Amino acid sequence: MAEENNSQKREEFKKKHKRIPNKNYAVKKRLPLRPVDGENVIFITKKTNFKAQLEKCCDLLTKGEKEIILHGLGAAIQRCCNLALQLEILFSGTCQLEVNTGTVDLVDDLEPLIDDLDFGTQVRHTSSVHIRVFRSAMLGANQ
Amino acid sequence: METTEFDATIGGEVHLPNSVNSLQFATSRSVEIAAMTESILNPSKTKLIFQCLPVHMRRRVMSHNCKRLPRRLREGHLEQLKKSGLPPKQKRPPRKYRRRPGNLLEEYNRRQMQNIWLETHIWHAKRFHMTKRWGHRIAYAPCDKAFRACYRASSAHCLIQDISYYTSIQITGPTDIIKSLFSSITSPCCGLGICAKAYINGIREGSIHLYKANSFPLGYIGKIQFIWIQSEDTNKTLFLFVHPSQAKQVSTILKEILNGDNNTDIYEHCEKRRKLTNNYLEKIQIKIIPGRFNRFRLTGPNSHAILARSLKCVENIEKLKSSKWTSIVDVNKLHLTEKFEYWKMISNAHAPSQLPPSIVIGLIVKDPRLSRPSHRTKAKSDSHEIINTECLLTTPKTVSYSPLWDTNIQEIITKEKMNNSDYIKHVTKNQLVPGEVFEDDPALQCIPVVLIQRPGSQVSNFKKIGYGSGWDVIIPSGYGIQFWQTFIMFGARSGGLRETESLAFEMGECYLPPDSDAGQEEERRIYLELEDKYFKRPPSKRVNFIKLGINSPFICHWKLLLKDWCNVENRNFDNFFVLRDRELLVKFQDCISRKQELPQIECAEECLVAVYIRIANKGFLKKHALICLPENGDSTNNMLVEPRHDDQNEKLRKEKRLEHKTNMKRLRRKRIKLKKKATTAILKPQKRKLEPSEYVKSMRDLWLPVDVKSVRRTCSRQIMGYLTQAAFSFLEARSCGIGYVTYNALNTLLKCGYNEILVRNTTSRKYRLATLQVIQ
Repeated sequence: MAEENNSQKREEFKKKHKRIPNKNYAVKKRLPLRPVDGENVIFITKKTNFKAQLEKCCDLLTKGEKEIILHGLGAAIQRCCNLALQLEILFSGTCQLEVNTGTVDLVDDLEPLIDDLDFGTQVRHTSSVHIRVFRSAMLGANQ
Repeated sequence: METTEFDATIGGEVHLPNSVNSLQFATSRSVEIAAMTESILNPSKTKLIFQCLPVHMRRRVMSHNCKRLPRRLREGHLEQLKKSGLPPKQKRPPRKYRRRPGNLLEEYNRRQMQNIWLETHIWHAKRFHMTKRWGHRIAYAPCDKAFRACYRASSAHCLIQDISYYTSIQITGPTDIIKSLFSSITSPCCGLGICAKAYINGIREGSIHLYKANSFPLGYIGKIQFIWIQSEDTNKTLFLFVHPSQAKQVSTILKEILNGDNNTDIYEHCEKRRKLTNNYLEKIQIKIIPGRFNRFRLTGPNSHAILARSLKCVENIEKLKSSKWTSIVDVNKLHLTEKFEYWKMISNAHAPSQLPPSIVIGLIVKDPRLSRPSHRTKAKSDSHEIINTECLLTTPKTVSYSPLWDTNIQEIITKEKMNNSDYIKHVTKNQLVPGEVFEDDPALQCIPVVLIQRPGSQVSNFKKIGYGSGWDVIIPSGYGIQFWQTFIMFGARSGGLRETESLAFEMGECYLPPDSDAGQEEERRIYLELEDKYFKRPPSKRVNFIKLGINSPFICHWKLLLKDWCNVENRNFDNFFVLRDRELLVKFQDCISRKQELPQIECAEECLVAVYIRIANKGFLKKHALICLPENGDSTNNMLVEPRHDDQNEKLRKEKRLEHKTNMKRLRRKRIKLKKKATTAILKPQKRKLEPSEYVKSMRDLWLPVDVKSVRRTCSRQIMGYLTQAAFSFLEARSCGIGYVTYNALNTLLKCGYNEILVRNTTSRKYRLATLQVIQ
């Protein structure tokens, strides 16, 4: 029974929040707002090679950076977590993680496809993850 | 009687007369006297003029420098020099002389006669390779090797380009009449119209595809940008920004419509049309004003920080009073505080792509020289405040208005400009603490500028979001170099025309498409350039394109390609077009991803489709590469190679060369014989002609046959189209290209159930697999 209820609810939810492609507007995305940037801040993306980003993080940590901050947004959250866990394994015991989650507001532009309409905007929300990777012991760091 | 004076034994007796008869004396010497007077009156002709001058008037190296002669003798002197065969060669004046300000300016003015210079020309000429293009002298690429650096600037920092060569056209008139003016030269299928609600309030810049009158889809001219000027009047003003390669065409077409020169229309509409044209003439004014604005293009996320640092907005009216141009403006219309607040609010943004797309902001800023750092620094948005989402969603309408569009104001601003030397004098005189600059200096006027946002890539499945985003800054004429230097000092990297091309390529945009006149001209230019380069190589170092099965390596024969793919025999193709119908392009992309047949369209035979090509595995794409139709099993076979074609011209070339050699030898022998026979009549060696000789021409024909009759089935795989731009794309991290394929070819490809294609470079026999995407 409970399962049925759940599925029903889900369907209802889908009906309510179904994204209908509007013929009058085209949705164009803007760049999401960034948290504070810096040398030790890495934004994990779906497009960038996983291995490359992992190596970049390793490099930063071995070169004496005390902490690095990984940011992941939406579909890249999984990658971000994976990367942090990989780092933890690689620096076994010498580095720790601190995970924060949050929500980021994204702005979409609605570009009109017909002459009688003006531009519009909509705000979406996406979940985000911010992982702080910090060294607990400086073993093996070439300083 | 007569005494003997001489020794008679030696000379005998000589009698000297006691008196001399003068007359007799003179007559006996008359011949000598005549000769003497003759030589006095007509000095000997072997001497040159300057040799005849009295000693005190003689100067060193007179013969070389005619300016050392008295002026009345110069002409004769030059005549003499010409006769003697020595060309009067003037020495180049010394650098010191040439660098004197007056002389320098004169020289610059002379050089500007043929090609228009931009305001930043001299800055660029010191650092860039300059080219002549579209009647302008344009910076092509920086002298330092900066190709990758410029890409990096555009993706992570800030790239700045001077695009002041864009011609602005001002159109004034009621909206509905402007709409009807543009109705015949645009099409609603290609996107929003010129009078769309989104643009007409003047908040956003729009772009539109222009065609020749009543000839859509043929007769493409180009894509132009436009801005409506905010005003309450019924007569509205519209500014078009046209690329210089299309400027002439656009202006003539607008004028033609104004004057109603279209005789091709049906007679029934004649009366109506006449009324309309009368309407046009009375109510619409079109002004073509090249070079009235400076337009700088800043690309990259950092461009926002640079603008935020270098443009200091004026807060209130009090500070504006010193500027002369404010006397003719309604000061309340300027909305200074609103602008100041808005600019302050959005200056925290990290990148221009976070802001509303193609928004227009009219700012009134302080003189840019005041905010210039003392040495080159990199502006970065280092504020830790996160920008409010609210202010990104809404833009106040008053922000877009700018007094810059008014001609009178602009003229005053240009006139009242304080030039650099005066500025330095002023600053050094008035500053109390050295190094400190008083920012609200009343001596320097405030300047209205207009900022236009460019959204860059907005679709995440095509290109990285926000790539190519930036600002266009429009600056009144006269202030170009001042603003330019400030932007440079804040860390913008300057680029040229090469960067425009590479940016268009990275963004996946069609740069000068082949169905426009400008595109064809560009193709022709590239063809001549490449051909010239090819024939400068020695024959042993030339690629033999015949053996590779490529009949036109330097130019794409679109018309032939379309003819070959046409199902109807013997159709004449005078014209063709690139598909720009937005809905159809979306459908096409769908069809490609689903491997479905394409929907039917009108004039499919003349239709090209712009495609973006990414190489699948290995390989490097180059310009003019062939896009080929794969056959069964090609997608798995990565060793697919074009079989070697045999070159029938090779034998002919050898024969011809041999013949030519013997001929030359014969001629040489003849010449030597002639020389020996008559030493006096030596023929002067004739000057080298620019035109190549008959032999060279025929040899070139044998290397690259000119009369190409068919292109589709020249290789083992059928040719669908060509790449017009191709290189390694840093953004995609693989080799990519922009090309065009014919509609029929694309349809055949999808009918066979493929959505991948084969690509072959002109210099290689190897086919590479690549994916295909429609450019929208």
